[in-house]
Amino acid sequence: MSTAEMSMADMTSLAAIRVAEPVVRVRNLGKVYGPFDEGSLARTGPGVGTARDSRTGSIVAAWNVNFDVAAGEALGIVGESGSGKSTVLRCIAGDQAATTGDVRFQCHDDGASNILDLDPATRRRLRVDKVSVVYQDAAEGLALGVTAGGNIADPLTAAGWRNFGRIRERAAELLARTEVPLDRMDDIVRNFSGGMRQRVQIARALANNPPILLLDEPTTGLDASVAAGVLDLIRRLLEELDLAVVVVSHDFAVIEMLTQRCIVMQHGRVVEDALTDQLLEDPQHPYSQKLVAAARA
Amino acid sequence: MGYAAARGGLSAIKSAEDLVARLRDNDPSNRLDIDQFTGRLRLLVDRVMGEAGLWAPEFAAMALRQAEGDVIEAVHLLRAYKSTLPRFAVAQVLDADDIDPERRVVPAFREPGGPQILGRSTDYTARMLKPDTRADEFTTDDAAQREVSSTEVVTTVATPEMRRMSDVLRDMDLLVDRRMATDPEPFDITRMPAKPPAPRSARLSTMARAETGALINQWYRNILGPDGYLHEVTLGEVRHGSLPITTTHPATGNEVTIGQFRVTEVEAIEDLDGVEEDRGSFDVGYGMCLGHNERKAIAMANLDIACHRDGSKSSLEQSILMTTDGLDSAGFLEHLKLPHYVTFRSMVERKVAVRRARTARTTDEMTDEMEVQS
Amino acid sequence: MTSIAELTGPPQATPFALLDEESKREIRRALLQAVATPGYQVPFGSREMPVARGWGSGGLQISLAIVGRHDVVKVIDQGDDEGVNAVNLRRLISSSTNTEETTEVNEATIVQSRHRIPEDAMEEDHILVLQVPVPEPLRGVERDMKELARMHAEADYSKMWVSLYEDKVRNGVITQTTGYPCLVAGRYVTATTPIPRWDIPRLHQSEFLTLFGAGREKRVYAIPPHTDVEPLTFDDVPFEVESADGASCRLCGSNESFLVESPGDTPTWACSDTAFCRRRRTK
Repeated sequence: MSTAEMSMADMTSLAAIRVAEPVVRVRNLGKVYGPFDEGSLARTGPGVGTARDSRTGSIVAAWNVNFDVAAGEALGIVGESGSGKSTVLRCIAGDQAATTGDVRFQCHDDGASNILDLDPATRRRLRVDKVSVVYQDAAEGLALGVTAGGNIADPLTAAGWRNFGRIRERAAELLARTEVPLDRMDDIVRNFSGGMRQRVQIARALANNPPILLLDEPTTGLDASVAAGVLDLIRRLLEELDLAVVVVSHDFAVIEMLTQRCIVMQHGRVVEDALTDQLLEDPQHPYSQKLVAAARA
Repeated sequence: MGYAAARGGLSAIKSAEDLVARLRDNDPSNRLDIDQFTGRLRLLVDRVMGEAGLWAPEFAAMALRQAEGDVIEAVHLLRAYKSTLPRFAVAQVLDADDIDPERRVVPAFREPGGPQILGRSTDYTARMLKPDTRADEFTTDDAAQREVSSTEVVTTVATPEMRRMSDVLRDMDLLVDRRMATDPEPFDITRMPAKPPAPRSARLSTMARAETGALINQWYRNILGPDGYLHEVTLGEVRHGSLPITTTHPATGNEVTIGQFRVTEVEAIEDLDGVEEDRGSFDVGYGMCLGHNERKAIAMANLDIACHRDGSKSSLEQSILMTTDGLDSAGFLEHLKLPHYVTFRSMVERKVAVRRARTARTTDEMTDEMEVQS
Repeated sequence: MTSIAELTGPPQATPFALLDEESKREIRRALLQAVATPGYQVPFGSREMPVARGWGSGGLQISLAIVGRHDVVKVIDQGDDEGVNAVNLRRLISSSTNTEETTEVNEATIVQSRHRIPEDAMEEDHILVLQVPVPEPLRGVERDMKELARMHAEADYSKMWVSLYEDKVRNGVITQTTGYPCLVAGRYVTATTPIPRWDIPRLHQSEFLTLFGAGREKRVYAIPPHTDVEPLTFDDVPFEVESADGASCRLCGSNESFLVESPGDTPTWACSDTAFCRRRRTK
């Protein structure tokens, strides 16, 4: 029925449903490298202790991953390297092609179509103002030979901004927000330290106010004190903005600071899914327990 | 002689043309006959035909004579001449094994199937310049000194059992099988430009017509040389000889052999060692060009397999497809001699604009400082 | 294909306009596609011409493909009819077609040009053929051809915009000299060959058809009449044409034409368009 025909009560419940609809909805996400048969799943995973199928040589990097993320919510994906956590993020971002899965974004077609079925050009356009990614290695998210302001001008012009003055204003605003000194706005990013590069990445990611933000090990590789500053910035930004966020990290400190819920991955599978506080206090799965214990030590 | 802004551009051109022709044709030495090129400068003629993509020895000789020995200029003359010729038939697909070999070398095996024929090559001759003007004449006295009888100076041999090395490797189950089930039409680079990613036939035709020096340089930089790369390459076949051309007679519909031409053919065996490759197998690259030009065919075979293995990941294919044609590269290089004063004027203007903007910026900064201080 | 009978007869004269009919037809087909997709680079089987690659072989192929017996041909280089390359191209066209030559725009039907658009207005009966050294406007920001094809296909010109931003930030002005990149019909970013910025406004909503020929790179493209041609710049950064600070032509006095400089203690200026200049003087 059209909105004209709905009663007030209907519209209220519809609004309520809409608010409850997740911004990001992931079902059955899977990524396999190499040839793959039904047995591959049984021969891989936490029970077997490997993501590699000894018979076919294929790697089940991620399988049967499910989660929702609402606006204003941050979900963590935690695990050691090889767990599949980055694979999951890259499949959602479009940097890698998933093998299977149903991923919906509320901001695209109202969540009615599977993102993974879109043609590459349409997926690339989502990266302009719907989904942004901050990578562990700034060289992946920035053009090192371009200035800080220029790296922000990139998504702005892609979104149709054509006024130089306003582009500069917006870039300056974002750099101020990410605590990059303004007198460095016209320096090329190659001349920035690691921590500064991450801040520029974040500024660029937020340029077009995307509803979805993906962070892949955003502070890994930075000095402890620098990392702390960047993490604190991210935490404050997540509090201020109404983003749906996915944070991938092997570091529980990061997960604890930034997320409300998280999933634990091991050998490509999700082994636990809980509120972050509860997971840290009382992990259920043996692997989660091991990770938490190691983090606390 | 005038240039751009002078009047009488046409008379300037005509004067230049007359001067070139006069000095070339009226040189006091003997005029060169076509058969002097085809007979005594055969490798030069072969190179021009190869780069022009046209088998026509007498015409290549004429082009060389008209171009006063400038190879690229001669190639241009020949290709432009080819543009005026109609295509009136298409040859049957050649079987390279029908070659009547003058030369055949197989570095990969000591005893390949069929003979190795050193043939007409200076590969193992000492490079000693013989300044005596009559030194290049082979006389029967010389032959007697070397105890070689004339019947042993072999140039052509009929060899029924010359087995191609790639076939031998295939029988030994050591070769990656890339044979196709389909038989696609080859890409015609003279009718449609090739761009990456291109089918193999486009790559091979481009290299067959490429400038010889360009291919040698590509090989030295990308395959094996001091610039960093190290492909383990071994040659399986280096052949030079003639092949027949067969076509369908337009009236009778019968197969008819209308002539023969010479080619150089090379198969390069590549030792696969890539992460996603089969370390237990070899793969083969192919090169063939018109006439006797071994450097070119060897470079071609190596670059063919390198492009295949690279799979468009690097810029190698683009570099080969787009930068190895002699007419394109030399023509564009030399176009710099054309007047460029309009573009240069525009550049000067922008330099003035940049300096003005700089001055304005400095003045603004100074004004801001003064305001702050006051 | 040609028959044996044709070949065994007396030798044919050079075909009309140097190229055989099939080649001309192929080039015309490519041109039609170009006109149908303004600003889009259409690949074509570029033939080897009597002029070298890089010296106008593309423009020449276009002119030869479209010229008819009643056409009148003007050829200029840097705006000059007497430039030796222009002379060479013009005699090739007219000798193989028996068409008339002219230096006057109002008498011409086809104007082939290297690096300039004539100062005199052209109308709907004119076809302008421009010689193009580098048809790819994005080559300065991207080298990989597959990526370039994707950028045009998806109208993803962000790298170009970033380079304009960086240029303005670094230099205070946009420093593109000639061949300024333009958005054609709101869709494709196009290389306007090395014509000066001065000439670009003449392409916008023109009465005449402009055809671009890149023989070495084997592409043609077109800007049809009444098409929007917008130089890429920011809304608040005006597009600047070459200025000569009030200089005027020492021969005809014009300060409303593109002037080129003769350097010296006292630099002098003259119109680059020699036919325009001469007409002004003889009026």
